[in-house]
Amino acid sequence: MKQSAVAALLAAVCAFACAGCGQHRGPAPGQITLGMVTDVGGLGDRSFNDSAYRGLLRAKSELGAYIQVLQSRSAADYQPNLIALTNLHYGMVYAIGFLMGLDLDSVAKQNPAQQYAIIDAVVDDPNVVSITFREQDGSFLAGALAAMVSKTHHIAFLGGQDIPLIRKFEAGYIAGAREIDPSIRVDVKYAGSFDDVAAGQELSNLLYDGGADIIYAAAGKAGLGTADAVKSRQGCYMIGVDSDQDGLVPGKVLTSMVKKVDVAVFVVAKALRDGHPMRGHVIFGLKDGAIGLTDFRYTKAAIGPANLARLKAIETAIVDGKITPPDSREALASFKPVAL
Amino acid sequence: MNELIVTLFALTLVKATPIIYAALGGVISERSGVINIGLEGMMAAGAFTAVVASFATHSPILGLAAGIGAGALFGYLLAFAATRFKVDQIVAGTGINLICAGGAAYGLVLLFNQPGASVQVASLGSSYWVLVVLAFALAALLQWVLYRTPWGLRIRASGENPSAVVSAGLNPLLLRTYAVILSGALAGLGGAFLSIGELNLYSDGMTAGRGFIALAAVIFGRWHPVGATVACVIFGFFEALQYVLQGQIAWLPANAMQALPYIAALIALAGVTGRVRAPAADGVPF
Repeated sequence: MKQSAVAALLAAVCAFACAGCGQHRGPAPGQITLGMVTDVGGLGDRSFNDSAYRGLLRAKSELGAYIQVLQSRSAADYQPNLIALTNLHYGMVYAIGFLMGLDLDSVAKQNPAQQYAIIDAVVDDPNVVSITFREQDGSFLAGALAAMVSKTHHIAFLGGQDIPLIRKFEAGYIAGAREIDPSIRVDVKYAGSFDDVAAGQELSNLLYDGGADIIYAAAGKAGLGTADAVKSRQGCYMIGVDSDQDGLVPGKVLTSMVKKVDVAVFVVAKALRDGHPMRGHVIFGLKDGAIGLTDFRYTKAAIGPANLARLKAIETAIVDGKITPPDSREALASFKPVAL
Repeated sequence: MNELIVTLFALTLVKATPIIYAALGGVISERSGVINIGLEGMMAAGAFTAVVASFATHSPILGLAAGIGAGALFGYLLAFAATRFKVDQIVAGTGINLICAGGAAYGLVLLFNQPGASVQVASLGSSYWVLVVLAFALAALLQWVLYRTPWGLRIRASGENPSAVVSAGLNPLLLRTYAVILSGALAGLGGAFLSIGELNLYSDGMTAGRGFIALAAVIFGRWHPVGATVACVIFGFFEALQYVLQGQIAWLPANAMQALPYIAALIALAGVTGRVRAPAADGVPF
């Protein structure tokens, strides 16, 4: 009795582990090989990691790359995952997320022949290309748009964790709002996690109840809680982040500040295919089309053509260097709105 | 000011509710002699199954029932491992946490074809307040059952001195099994409250450690249903307070605010240790 129960359990576990084994094949000769380690948010965050994955899928279809993704359940998985892909000798191993910085640094030092790419952190090793984004530029546009649309002259920011990377979003957003309306009130709260959807919803309700009519949610999956909070509110909006989240609650998501990690992932893969892999620190911004707002497909009427034209002018001013959005709270303190 | 108090009060209750369900589950399990460290996983199982059932039937009530059932099922699994095989309860509970988190993540891909988060499903909407009230009612009920009924006495005896239960002609292993199934059902309900009560979706990691906070509440509440509930409310209050205060005090960063409930819990725990005593046979296989 006992043995048969154990055997049945074993069989179930094997079936579980092997589901989907069918399509596994190794890379063909001559194919470029790309491995990726996701951050704890994982695939399906409809945000940062999904965006990186889209870049990988594009490399698969356009460059004929062989791809493999390992997901990290916790920070303890970063190094084992990176080492696992390193041992497969892939052409490029992507580390998605600033949290992997230290782990990648030690793995890269031990494997100088392997090429790595890291998103959102700067790792100073010769075999690592570090990719960061000017999130403050896109967030500046998001803040400017929010200030134009807000009826209460009161908007809000919901962050995931209170870390320098998310403060870039915060500083850019507040500066953009002040560019349009210097006396606007911007409430700032942090969920303390990128996973806790309930916390995101509760904090968003607090912010909306407090009088803010637009929340910019730079909080990963916790931002799904903002979408839940805005759903039933009249005259309130949210602004999504990283991926195009406009369809989350159609008409209620003013726009999304898209960080096209996929563009960066693809550009790195293409350089590898063309035989001159990228090195050093590469910064993507508005100019490269790697940062920007969505096309407002559900909210064009609510925003109006005059505001869209104004937004375009601000975007041009940032690209031309007339406006330099702040990337930290310190820089925000000395930011002065620029007359256009 | 009044508005602020109402906000704090409401938010405290909402934050406390899922933890209360899990903590009540923890109390009954440990009172019977089984440490249920799998509360977190059972919450995740309840949250996920509730969403799946609500998605399939468009009925959040059936979703709730399915969430409770899923929790109970994993409760049974733990009880089976703890009573029949006398497995180390901490190891078995940890296994359940891993199975549930991983199973739900895999289930998202299988059923919704998207990793990370489910689609939006029918939820309880504003009637989730019924579940908030129910949590407190259940705490009172469980206190009564454990201390005023023969069945409660037998459960407590299984956790204090199972041999005495045998000499009374009863089977402590069966009593433990019932208690742990009930424990899982309560944790499952707590998870379902999160996914289709407050929200309308399942997302990986959404239980965010609430099952472990419930375990701490069990100890802080000295293994009493009402005590554990008070602990959950205190935790909920400080969580609500830090939500409200964030951004109001310029020199205090959000990170420090977020530590507030945990600091409060530490101080409270330090204040009551020495007087707490776990059931004598808690965690000891019989």
